[in-house]
Amino acid sequence: MNFWEKMEKMDRRWVYLMVGLSVILPFIFPLDLPISITPEAQSVFDEVEKIPDGSTVMLVFDYYPSTIAECEPMAIAALHHFFRKNCKVITLSNIPLGGPSMAEAVTRDMAEKYNKVYGVDFVNLGYKYGYVAVLSGMGQSIKSIFPTDNSGTPLEELPLMTNVPNYDSVAFIFEIADNATADYWVSIVYAQYGVPMVCGTTAVSAPKYYSFVASGQFKGLLGGMKGAAEYEQLVGHNAAAVTGMSAQSLVHLLIIFLVILGNISFFLGRKGHKKELV
Amino acid sequence: MQNLTKQLKTTVLYGIILQKILTSSAFAQTNDSIFRVDRINALILVVVFSTTILLYTRWARQGKPLFLRKIPGLDAVEEAVGRATEMGRPVLFVPGIAELDEIETIAGISILGRVAKITAQYETPLNVPVRYPLVLAAGQEVVEQAYIEAGKKDLYDKDTVRYVAGEQFAFTATVNGYMMRERPATNIYMGAFFAESLLLAETGNAAGSIQIAGTARPEQLPFFIAACDYTLMGEELYAASAYLSKEPVMTGGLKGQDFIKILITICILLGVILVMFGFGKEFISLFQSV
Amino acid sequence: MRTTVPVLIAFISGIVLVVSFFFRKGTWLGDLEQEFTVWLTIVGGFTLLLGVVSITRVNWTAVKRKKEGWKYKILTLIAIFAMAIPSVLSPDWSPLFGRAEGSIYDWLFQYQMSPMMATMFATLAFYIASAAFRAFRARSLEATLLLVTATLIMLWRIPMGEWFLNLFPGDIPYLLNTYIMGGINMAVQRGIIIGAALGAASMSLRIILGIERTYMGKG
Repeated sequence: MNFWEKMEKMDRRWVYLMVGLSVILPFIFPLDLPISITPEAQSVFDEVEKIPDGSTVMLVFDYYPSTIAECEPMAIAALHHFFRKNCKVITLSNIPLGGPSMAEAVTRDMAEKYNKVYGVDFVNLGYKYGYVAVLSGMGQSIKSIFPTDNSGTPLEELPLMTNVPNYDSVAFIFEIADNATADYWVSIVYAQYGVPMVCGTTAVSAPKYYSFVASGQFKGLLGGMKGAAEYEQLVGHNAAAVTGMSAQSLVHLLIIFLVILGNISFFLGRKGHKKELV
Repeated sequence: MQNLTKQLKTTVLYGIILQKILTSSAFAQTNDSIFRVDRINALILVVVFSTTILLYTRWARQGKPLFLRKIPGLDAVEEAVGRATEMGRPVLFVPGIAELDEIETIAGISILGRVAKITAQYETPLNVPVRYPLVLAAGQEVVEQAYIEAGKKDLYDKDTVRYVAGEQFAFTATVNGYMMRERPATNIYMGAFFAESLLLAETGNAAGSIQIAGTARPEQLPFFIAACDYTLMGEELYAASAYLSKEPVMTGGLKGQDFIKILITICILLGVILVMFGFGKEFISLFQSV
Repeated sequence: MRTTVPVLIAFISGIVLVVSFFFRKGTWLGDLEQEFTVWLTIVGGFTLLLGVVSITRVNWTAVKRKKEGWKYKILTLIAIFAMAIPSVLSPDWSPLFGRAEGSIYDWLFQYQMSPMMATMFATLAFYIASAAFRAFRARSLEATLLLVTATLIMLWRIPMGEWFLNLFPGDIPYLLNTYIMGGINMAVQRGIIIGAALGAASMSLRIILGIERTYMGKG
């Protein structure tokens, strides 16, 4: 077995070690990297800018705690953007595990910074089982699907919700998802009720949603941590996503290096093996 | 060229006339009308689609031969179960991680029935971890039925299909742990998968299992292709139960689906041409849903 | 009977939802969809109980029979009930109950579950690197094209890579976004999405009409 053959059969734990170091090191020695803005992220910003100040909007926390690194910076930047425009924010989640809690924690934290009052400026509807049923049901009556908010307060007792019977009163939807619920927001809510919406999603899901952006079903798209970093820059609140880009940069470079190394090992190792056979 | 332009104009004209008729006073949407005339395009599609599927199913029932192309991933299922039997190791089947209201999960459960029948015949242990209670109920029903049909009811264990965890990564960790401990000879992943696809497939690869995957999630396909031996892509997953059953009634539906696909392709091409000649707006409006 | 009744329920539910779509809300037929979706959320809520019963039974049996790893199964059982029971008790009794900030549920969620989930997701980076190193080979023309495209896209998605790409003439990042992501990628995604949607619609129809019964273990 020659060197390249050995390299090709390298124990995967070496790869894991290299990835670990590439993630940790940039947090100790941060790299200040300029981030360019893609047209899709610019559209997200422009669309939110277009909403009349004081409108009612929906911010959907359709992501699990596992993708917090990619999705939460989007939610925080969106809340900065909405609260700055004095929009009334309704949050909800189609994720049973953590969705409502994350919406609660993030929104309350941001609301405090902008002196917003619960029930008047923002409401957390929480979670209800069966996203297809929930999304289509809210088209007729939000109250029939969510009789109470996340903490059990009846919707009639929340001034914001008395003026929002269904999607007709919602000016804009910002869907942040790490799963296929984004598809249903398009096929049920956009297709049937025409509410303008944008989507923030994980890097792995983003390529799928380019076609939704091209068809105008999503007005803009934030893809992964890069998309979140772009939006943070546009909103003017550089935070976790911008910081995380250093680690992401290094890991991408490492993967490219590994792919090249793997191919060199594959070809040279094969050559050596053929020689041995001759 | 002139002739083509003329033909295009005629096509668009017919389209506009059809649209006008549908929105004319006879069909006009008034506040007290109960029917959503604005959704007539969707109704037409539903009718055409259903009729086509039913027609093909009928032809299939009458014995008309229908050709189905080979799907290597499905042909490999029996061979893979056989391998597990020879090695004396279990078969792992994951019907995705979505709820039962997801059509991909139903497709996965349908395939599970077929796989369970083979494992029952070979008397090979089967393990089916699930993430949702409803999938658990459906999975248990399907596997039990498969064992009964194979005449091996005594071999059926209720915990063959078991609820593992409602959380995505707790589920993944359990399944990965099982793979590394029990080293199943064959792993079959059929249904809706998300971020765990690569975690499962890579662990299965490390455990040396033969792996067959199928999902309609385009974003997860690259991961399965990289780490599995066979991958069913998109609609192949939905075709699987019909393909494995080899029943003409089921394959009829697949042929009907292909016919609709041809119709859609024609519409797309027509749309592209019309847009190029500046008549796209009217044509597109025929397909817009409300 | 065991087949006919479920098929009948599937048929009625499916047809009602399809027909209701074409009727105005506020009419009896139009409102049926809403009625059915509310039922679905209620029935779905009850099914969660099934999961608790199943996981308890499987683990409890293993503990009782002292199967391999039974001690871990005790931990699983403790974890299930430690999280579930305080969350359903009334917060009026104690601030530790319920799901509000400061409750047991909230603590366990925020400081145990959430980091564990994020850690599991983060292991993807390790697996992707390992899979890329092992499986990404320029074995054929198609594989080479895929490899080159993937490398370019990975470079484009990071600031350092973008800087590197900009060293070359022509606006490579723009070309990648327009032609690879907005062109080739989009076309392929649409192809798969349309195919999968048709497959799903066809399967739904087969289920509604009772042609496809394999999901019940029949046929």
